[in-house]
Amino acid sequence: MTDPIYPDVVQLAVPVFIALILAELAWIVIRGRGGRYETRDALTSLVMGAGNVASGILLGFVGWGFFMTLWAITPLDLGTSWAVVALCFVLDDLRYYWVHRFGHRIRWVWASHVNHHSSQHYNLTTALRQTWTGAFTFMIVVRAPLILLGFHPAMVLFCGGLNLIYQFWIHTEAIGRMPRWVEAVMNTPSHHRVHHGRNPRYLDANYAGVFIIWDRLFGTFVAERADDPVDYGLVRNLGTFNPLRVAFHEWLAILRDVTQPGLTLRQRLLYAVAPPGWSHDGSRETSEAIKARHRAEAGRDPGMPAE
Amino acid sequence: MPFGVLIALVMCGIAGIAVLTHALGLSARAPFPDTAAARAAWLREYPALAPADVVMSRDGRSALIVTAGGPGVVWRFGADSTARLLTGARVRRCARGLDIRLPDFTAPRIVLDLSAEETDAWTRSLGNAA
Repeated sequence: MTDPIYPDVVQLAVPVFIALILAELAWIVIRGRGGRYETRDALTSLVMGAGNVASGILLGFVGWGFFMTLWAITPLDLGTSWAVVALCFVLDDLRYYWVHRFGHRIRWVWASHVNHHSSQHYNLTTALRQTWTGAFTFMIVVRAPLILLGFHPAMVLFCGGLNLIYQFWIHTEAIGRMPRWVEAVMNTPSHHRVHHGRNPRYLDANYAGVFIIWDRLFGTFVAERADDPVDYGLVRNLGTFNPLRVAFHEWLAILRDVTQPGLTLRQRLLYAVAPPGWSHDGSRETSEAIKARHRAEAGRDPGMPAE
Repeated sequence: MPFGVLIALVMCGIAGIAVLTHALGLSARAPFPDTAAARAAWLREYPALAPADVVMSRDGRSALIVTAGGPGVVWRFGADSTARLLTGARVRRCARGLDIRLPDFTAPRIVLDLSAEETDAWTRSLGNAA
């Protein structure tokens, strides 16, 4: 049986990405609301996006080889009907939720994902501020169950591309709230603004790609609140627009921490895989510690997710 | 899509958006409106390290922060701001004011535009680091 062929939807979407960025920029400039743009910030985001495509071209064969090996050994083949594609899309979105959650809770994966959160802006260029080092996180293994279940690797990558395209439009402040049923089921600009927030309330929330139901199901959903406007960026914001520094800074920080003298082997390992902010001497703050400090300072805060 | 077309599209897209945002005046580095704004910007990065003193630069684009943890600088970064403690920093005078090199891969260099008087005063505040 010949392998199915699906279009590279992300490449095809590039002209649409550019057109929508121009439309958002025009909207903000003409209307004077709906977000902010800054030249160097936007430029850095766009260069990160181009680098992400380049790294995919350079390293994509590793993932493809891994997937085709799995496909060769699995006895299952669900075929290529549109119902199977739809099922694959939903399950791949569940896969995305967990990879994304790992990306915030495991420093090794965060080192790759952190650059996406490194802008203090939230506009459509932020959507393109993507990692150059995703291949080094080994998160492609999370796609293995889909292929072993009988979804063809080409279909899985096609659905992953659609997922990425969906997430483009939600990186905007130009859209407030969607109709209630959309906000209940789908990831929306409002839900994803929360995800990009550095406010204690919004840390480690709303990991969804397309369907926000995963966050509701697994207890990580936090609603955007008018009384706590989202403050975008990192807990400690970068002081550089240099894409190389944006791409590699957390990997270097891991290296520095892991190789410092006087640590046990376990401590060295934890610097690489514990949640971001973990330290052997408690001198730094994890997101849990930041939330705890917020609770202590603000008293009872009903909008905070459960501890 | 042919690879050459993709490359051209990406290059032109990036350049076009950068030129357009610059032409629209979106490269301007707005100053902190007042000391309170600089203090708030510092606390945004170091919420547990309250400033004992805030000295604004004349151009309003940076402020020297005195804290119990040592001196720090908060400065306008694009349309926003960021801040760093100056632990381990190498500070030297330059034509624009002060050139601060930090042992920090995410903020390796801060060049502060200061008048001669400000440079003298900030250098004194930073102790013998300069």
